[in-house]
Amino acid sequence: MSRRSQGRPVLGEVAGGLVLAFLVMPIFAVVPASMNDASFIKIPPAVYSFRWYGQFFHDPSWISALANSVEVAVLATVFSVAIGTSAALGIERLPPATRSLAVGLVLSPLIVPVIMISISLYYVTRTIGLYGTAAGLALSHALLCLPFVVLNVGVSLKRLDPNLVRAAEGLGAGPWRVFRTVTFPAILPGLAGGATFAFVTSFDEVVISIFIAGYGAKTLPVKLWEQIRFEFTPVAAVASTVILALTMVLFVLARRAAARNAATAAAEDA
Amino acid sequence: MTMSAGMHGVSFRQVSKSYGAVRALRPLDLEIEPGEFLTLLGPSGSGKTTLLNIAAGFLDPDGGQVVIGSRDVTALPPRARNVGMVFQNYALFPHLDVFENVAYGLRVRRVADAELRARVDTALGLVQLGDFGARAINQLSGGQQQRVALARAMVIEPDLLLMDEPLGALDRQLRKHVQLEIRRLHNEKPRTTIYVTHDQEEALVMSDRVAIMRDGRIEQIGTPHELYDRPRNAYSASFLGESNLLPVHIDEVRDDRASFTVDGPEALRSQSQGDDLPGPGPALLLARPEAVRPAADGEPGLEAVVEETVYLGELVATRLRMSTGQTVWMRRMNAPPHEVGARIRITWDPAKARLLPEKKPS
Amino acid sequence: MILAGTASPPPAAARSQRAARAVMTAALLLPATLFLAGWFLWPLGQLLVLSLSSPEGPTAAYRALAESEVFRSVFVNTLLLAVVVTVICTLLAYPAAWLLTRVRGFWFSVALYCVLLPFWISILVRTFSWMLLLERNGPVNNLLMAVGATHQPLRLLFNQFSVHVGMVHVLLPYAILPIYASMLKVDRRLLLASDGLGASSRTTFLRVFLPLTMPGVMAGAAFVFLLALGFFITPALLGGPQNLTAAMLIDSFVNERLVWPMAAAASFILLLMVLAVLLLTSRFVAIGSVMVMK
Repeated sequence: MSRRSQGRPVLGEVAGGLVLAFLVMPIFAVVPASMNDASFIKIPPAVYSFRWYGQFFHDPSWISALANSVEVAVLATVFSVAIGTSAALGIERLPPATRSLAVGLVLSPLIVPVIMISISLYYVTRTIGLYGTAAGLALSHALLCLPFVVLNVGVSLKRLDPNLVRAAEGLGAGPWRVFRTVTFPAILPGLAGGATFAFVTSFDEVVISIFIAGYGAKTLPVKLWEQIRFEFTPVAAVASTVILALTMVLFVLARRAAARNAATAAAEDA
Repeated sequence: MTMSAGMHGVSFRQVSKSYGAVRALRPLDLEIEPGEFLTLLGPSGSGKTTLLNIAAGFLDPDGGQVVIGSRDVTALPPRARNVGMVFQNYALFPHLDVFENVAYGLRVRRVADAELRARVDTALGLVQLGDFGARAINQLSGGQQQRVALARAMVIEPDLLLMDEPLGALDRQLRKHVQLEIRRLHNEKPRTTIYVTHDQEEALVMSDRVAIMRDGRIEQIGTPHELYDRPRNAYSASFLGESNLLPVHIDEVRDDRASFTVDGPEALRSQSQGDDLPGPGPALLLARPEAVRPAADGEPGLEAVVEETVYLGELVATRLRMSTGQTVWMRRMNAPPHEVGARIRITWDPAKARLLPEKKPS
Repeated sequence: MILAGTASPPPAAARSQRAARAVMTAALLLPATLFLAGWFLWPLGQLLVLSLSSPEGPTAAYRALAESEVFRSVFVNTLLLAVVVTVICTLLAYPAAWLLTRVRGFWFSVALYCVLLPFWISILVRTFSWMLLLERNGPVNNLLMAVGATHQPLRLLFNQFSVHVGMVHVLLPYAILPIYASMLKVDRRLLLASDGLGASSRTTFLRVFLPLTMPGVMAGAAFVFLLALGFFITPALLGGPQNLTAAMLIDSFVNERLVWPMAAAASFILLLMVLAVLLLTSRFVAIGSVMVMK
């Protein structure tokens, strides 16, 4: 690299650093907030304590919300991975013009304002009896999860050398065997990445959930939303920290897997 | 596992293929003998890879038939054809080790474990990778990967072995070595093979017969020797071996003998003997560099200026500029070199020269 | 084409192989197609019908929205808010993306994590964090008082300011990624060439680097604008009663005033705005590529 960056660019880099700090640091404000001993939030806490964690984990309404969140996220992930992988395989076989149309359709739930999706689903789920059910919520979340699965699997599929499929076919393998022994191992990293992000997307989702979770499938974000609209309690900070911790773990796992993949890909290219 | 594995003839009958307006293959007929090593030689876009992919079943022809042995395989998917394929980029399964790559086709065929192990070991031994079974693919060099691909294609005892520029990714040194290796394997156990390349040297070294392709058709087919000695036109001549093509005018053709005049100030007259001579009119005289020699004293010849001499061991190659401005190469064994700038007169050995039609007869 | 007569028609078996392939492709696409049709397009269609079914006549809901000063101002405010947030995000994203191109190894990983992590963290949690930070007795006010910038706590929450801060924070990563991608594409030799021609680093930046990265800036801005238009959670929690956005208006039509046709009509107006932006910026925005980077 050139040594030209003496004057102004340094300023740019400092500004960039400050922006990144602004991006990340505030996220963690809920963590000290959750450790207050008092029954109101003070940052930093006057006295540190984990008593509100005890409160959280012993309150059946919080725990059932957490359980609902996990159940819905698992259902949404399994469903979107199944149909999304199938769709990505199908899209790869389409002629280019039709392909971009199909990708556009899959992505469109991310373009349409989520409030609009929410009220439309609120409207129809009540008429077909899926309002307030884990299944209804999981299907709704799957709308937002599907694009990530399709895109991630699609990227892996594009990287798959078509000659590998041909080689397997030439050696006598039928379509299912080719999928099992060649295609699936190749798309597994993309599938895992898509599935992880799908899980987090569902686990974090608020807007659709507010409208259609009802009492029957109230998730952690919905309960949190109801709480903080009226008061800031340390328990809400605990719930936030729980959500934060779970997604952080998944984030780190996903980044590690991605880095490992990049390393193997580089080794194969060499 | 029949005795006849790999000993099937292959017929392409009126096989054609177009991509939109592009005619990749014009209706084409080709017969390959059982156990023959046939090379499709041609530039990219000449249709050779299309023909290979049709043979493998990766492409459907627009029309015509592909017959392997006595089986019409035109409508069969690749998996039902029992054809072995070696790809230019090897296409080894990156998540399987060397052994499992080679075993893949046998596992598909549900070969029992003991037999599978024995056959994979034999195949790996044949390509001199006996100890490499447990290696990961990305631990192998290009040449080793190439040999694994070869073993994987051969271990299934294919009726037909297809190779798509398999040496393209190797460096020159290694390429020569693997060429001989492939030829050795073929000699030890002949199996019907179609080999695609754009490298004339590969074609000459390995093939029983070579089909020179251009614009979706076979321009000429024959043994390397036939093609070198008796090219049918300038295209075949220049694709296989080095060639000097002098514009001439054929004055008269009588039986198997033609009289012609070389274009240029000298208007040198000569005769040529052959079986498929072009008719009277403009034509080309093919004289390979080794057919060109300095004219003896008093012998008629063409004026030329020596522009460059290149020593190739015992061979001396000389680049000459004719009075017409054309460049001609001369290659002589153990000959005293000419000085650059020297003016000499050259002629050619009539027995090694050949008259060709001026343009392709299309 | 003259030779067409010589080629026999495709063999029936090859034709049926092609048909089998088409059937397979259709079968693979079928589940997702059915799902999107039934769970996305159909509900939106129902909503469209609903928007046209006011007791006062098919277009009554749309007319009511267009004629009311209050509703019009909500949409104008939503647009203005999106513009301001987009401008701020773009200005902040540029140096952040620049930093990503300047650091290597460990610090690059740290910087990249800073950009990618927010995509994974719940918007609700991030918004809640800002509520805690900007509170009357929160750390920001404490800090301002400690350094003597103010003597009494400022009102930082439930107003335009907090909405801007929260939305910029949530949407910033969407601007950084496209700008970073466009910076990676810039050929470093062009910068050296400009230096070599005697240009100051300021000139090199303004005349060479900035123009070359403009497509990324446009893509990032378009993306942020698109998402800002439909934002709900963050303005709902951080804004005051006066900071109504289109999404909040739709929510109140459904949950407070129970006027479904109005909610549906407002949704379609919002969707039209989004689609208009998408159409105008489709040159720049490859949404798929940003989504994959997460």
